[in-house]
Amino acid sequence: MAAIGVHFGYTCACVAVFKDGRADVVANDAGDRVTPAVVAYRDTEQIVGIAAKQGRIRNAANTVVKVKQILGRRYDDPDAQAHKEESKCIVVNKSGLPRYEIDTGETTKYVSPEDVAKLIFHKMKETAQSALGSDVKDAVITVPFEFDEMQKNALRQAAESAGFNVLRLIHEPSAALLAYDIGQDSPLGKSHVLVYKLGGTSLSVTVLEVNSGVYRVLATQTDHQTGGESFTQELAQHLAAEFKKTFKQDVSGNARAMMKLMNSADVAKHTLSTLGSANCFVDSLYDGMDFECNVSRARFELICSSLFNKCIQPIKSLLEQVNLSTSDVNKVVLSGGSARIPKLQQMIRDLFPDVELLNSIPPDEVIPVGAAMQAGILVGKDSLALGEDSITVDCCASDITLKEVDDSGLEVFTVLFPSGTPLPARRQHTLQGPGSLSSVRLQLFQAQQPIAQIVLGDLEPKEELHDVVTVLTMKRDGSLHVTCTEQSSGRSEAITIETAAAAS
Amino acid sequence: MLTEALEGQLTVVYNTVAASVQVQVEPVGRWFEAFLKRRNRNVSASFQELEEEEELSEEEEDEELQLEEYPMLKTLDPKDWKNQDHYAVLGLAHVRYKATQKQIKAAHKAMVLKHHPDKRKAAGEQIVEGDNDYFTCITKAIEILSDPVKRRAFDSVDPTFDNAVPTKAEGKENFFEVFAPVFERNARWSVKKHFPSLGTMESSFEDVDNFYSFWYNFDSWREFSYLDEEEKEKAECRDERRWIEKQNRASRAQRKKEEMNRIRTLVDTAYNADPRIKKFKEEEKARKESEKKAKVEAKKREQEEKERARQQQEEAARLLKEQQEEAARQAAQQAKKEKEAQKKAIKKERQKLRMTCKSQNYFTDNEADSVRMMEEVEKLCDRLELISLQTLNEALSAGNKEQSKAALEKQVQEVNMQLQKEKDAELQAQQAARGSEHSSAAGGQNNRGWSEEDLQLLIKAVNLFPAGTNARWEVIANYMNQHSSSGVRRTAKDVINKAKTLQKLDPHQKDEINRKAFEKFKKEHSAVPPTVDNAMPSERFDAVGADSNAAAWTTEEQKLLEQALKTYPVSTAERWERISEAVPGRSKKDCMKRYKELVEMIKAKKAAQEQVAAKNKK
Repeated sequence: MAAIGVHFGYTCACVAVFKDGRADVVANDAGDRVTPAVVAYRDTEQIVGIAAKQGRIRNAANTVVKVKQILGRRYDDPDAQAHKEESKCIVVNKSGLPRYEIDTGETTKYVSPEDVAKLIFHKMKETAQSALGSDVKDAVITVPFEFDEMQKNALRQAAESAGFNVLRLIHEPSAALLAYDIGQDSPLGKSHVLVYKLGGTSLSVTVLEVNSGVYRVLATQTDHQTGGESFTQELAQHLAAEFKKTFKQDVSGNARAMMKLMNSADVAKHTLSTLGSANCFVDSLYDGMDFECNVSRARFELICSSLFNKCIQPIKSLLEQVNLSTSDVNKVVLSGGSARIPKLQQMIRDLFPDVELLNSIPPDEVIPVGAAMQAGILVGKDSLALGEDSITVDCCASDITLKEVDDSGLEVFTVLFPSGTPLPARRQHTLQGPGSLSSVRLQLFQAQQPIAQIVLGDLEPKEELHDVVTVLTMKRDGSLHVTCTEQSSGRSEAITIETAAAAS
Repeated sequence: MLTEALEGQLTVVYNTVAASVQVQVEPVGRWFEAFLKRRNRNVSASFQELEEEEELSEEEEDEELQLEEYPMLKTLDPKDWKNQDHYAVLGLAHVRYKATQKQIKAAHKAMVLKHHPDKRKAAGEQIVEGDNDYFTCITKAIEILSDPVKRRAFDSVDPTFDNAVPTKAEGKENFFEVFAPVFERNARWSVKKHFPSLGTMESSFEDVDNFYSFWYNFDSWREFSYLDEEEKEKAECRDERRWIEKQNRASRAQRKKEEMNRIRTLVDTAYNADPRIKKFKEEEKARKESEKKAKVEAKKREQEEKERARQQQEEAARLLKEQQEEAARQAAQQAKKEKEAQKKAIKKERQKLRMTCKSQNYFTDNEADSVRMMEEVEKLCDRLELISLQTLNEALSAGNKEQSKAALEKQVQEVNMQLQKEKDAELQAQQAARGSEHSSAAGGQNNRGWSEEDLQLLIKAVNLFPAGTNARWEVIANYMNQHSSSGVRRTAKDVINKAKTLQKLDPHQKDEINRKAFEKFKKEHSAVPPTVDNAMPSERFDAVGADSNAAAWTTEEQKLLEQALKTYPVSTAERWERISEAVPGRSKKDCMKRYKELVEMIKAKKAAQEQVAAKNKK
């Protein structure tokens, strides 16, 4: 069974297919693995993708970009207003909902953002189907964590009208985790993962807790001002300054020239992620004058140094917010096209010196791959509709710890049953005690409070260590059942600890 | 490292644990799906883990392979490989068809290591050259057993398999002991991996049914290519190969059929001998019977219920009716009593009035007045209601003579006035009714010119052409036009209108018309013979005949009349006068009437006869 994962971003869309146990990104008809989320309206046709993006220089008024910013929003929404300000395409108010005003020769069309999104989804579907060679509809689509219900619905509707059968909408950070299979091989253990996503126009940092293979978002921060385009902007400004320096002409007031410079800067930025220097070349940029300029990576990093700091800042504040230190984070996942920038990766690595930085999958493909994997999990199963209550699970409130002594005789606490474990759950540990003892004592703590003590007496002193198999089972209400068995003698003790509510 | 428990320390719970908290998780990943599924199925985590462990253990296989030496190995003839037991050759005689590929390979390896000619040569053994060495048998065995198709062919004809089917008699005694191993044995041919066991006497009906349906639809993989007499490979040309193939196919089909028959026989025998089937059948029968009984009972009960309900209803209806009747009777009695009381009261009042009047001497002095007054008082007594009578009596008794007289007179006057008024009203109503009749009669535009003759003619015509005549009113109108002397042309409508008015006219008028007509007839008849055909009775005489003799005609009179009728034919002048003269005691009118009656009688007789004749004809 094949299934599709779609990432629909502000600037780009990307599709991955799940087939034969593998998820892979599919290249579109232009050969690119990522399709710009740009739709150009012409007299007779609508163009999606790179052609629309390139044609924007001449057809700005009829080209819709960053439609996701306005999707599912009302006209008077501040974000919609911000989008209206920025968009070259006219946005009008039609009974409270925003509509793009598209001039197609003789008539004026009013196009809803949902229709634009539908065209992009349609393109993604075509791309996926060309790779699969069959009509596959089942898809998982990613949404940003901050999307509200209305935006999600709009996205879902757009995808469904494009012919997708939307299996589920999942959040982008969890898709990123899924792409790296974090916590999927074994349901035991608990870890923290930070997802760093630097997309075209937005930066979002999310901390997730992975417990028993289940993800949970602890906190997230999103900055819609910073993104890959900010870097391009900076670079374009620099190029304009260079142009001014050489030709004594100011092009910053000329929209078309600036757009050309932006395109050139975009290419240069991409080149600089892999090469040490890039050549910007724009024919007849202004007044018939050709422009050529060489930018080194060092220069680029210098230009954008303040931006880099701005990009790193949210990580620190977020960690502070959830009360974690950088060492508490077990893994960092990079996603979003601009996470390719070497300098940025270096900065993150510096921030998390002994943390695994996951960037083996191209950052802009992480999310669609994760979505496709989720689609692979869901496809062919009669999955139930997800309600609010189905994503709400009972969890262990705080760690159940065991007081032990280490080799040097100091008291240490070992976590037997981590907090946040979805209930009901069972955890098994083999604890050891010195073989010379005739009895062992297990002291259980929760939140530094002793909750129980289990004593196994009458043990045969022996050479090797006593192996005590301890099984902790917690029910949905939180009550805990502990069974300890000494392996060699078979002596066992069992206790049940009720919750405060049940005991009272 | 765990610590040592001190003296006296025991297992104890100090505190409660914190209750679980609810958090929202991301709906992604297979563990989330597993969690969700588990929660929906209400299964605990440990259950799932157990399931997983089970799966794991299934994968592992204990590979404790023990080979059995085959003592005959060295004496085997490689040329007779078809008849050798390949499993025994490889030392797998104890596992046989249950041996896995892995085991077969391992066994082969062990055998090769031991029996390879080179090995034996090294050990100083004598080796038969070429393919005749018994090692060829081992090679052949692995060749057969490693190939799933060939192995299946060999397994199908496993020489150690017992094809025997127990007879019914054998199974009768201890069914389970006899049949269980047989089914177990034969189940190995099943394509399906899992097969139901024969079970025990206590097995449920479903289990038994399942078992037999499995065996009746038994899908066997057993085939008999191993027993092919000819070998395809030996053929020299295509035609020969084809022929061999055909031969083989036929024999395989034959054997397969036999095999299926064998299984069928086995299952049939078992089914017939199965004590449980018998038990189930009996149970089924008993159940059906009890159901039937229950049904009948239910029906009966239902009927009884119905009957009772009906009776209850009837009872209720009867009671209700009785009650109603009782109430009605009481009401009637009450009414009667009241009426009587009223009557009595009225009577009393009247008496009182009369007495009062009498005592007052009718307020008059002279006799005549008193008589008149008495009459008036009687009238009052008749007319006045109880209440007015009472008031009058009170007035009479209360006042002195003059006053009472005035009151009485006033009352009398009032009553007289009322009587007068009523009379007037009646008269008026009568007049009005007559007036309206007159006006409606006069309203017809053709009222003009309806002379007495015409009316007479109309009545005659109406009688002449009775209801049911085809286009009756047109015919009447035509008749009128032809015979009328007034010269007024009348249409069917006019005629209808007039006829209706005539019908409506009060009897007096009718009488009048008839009388007039008769007088005229009388007047005219002296000169003119009847214009109308004698056979046509058209006039109504019954209403008239003041001077006629209504007495019935005697036979003599009848005879005389008939004689006279014959004597004076139609053309005779003044025929009826003469006839009447011939019949003593009868007037001319009586004779005519009688004649008409006779004519009608004869006509009716004739019509009846004709009808009878027509019926007979039919």
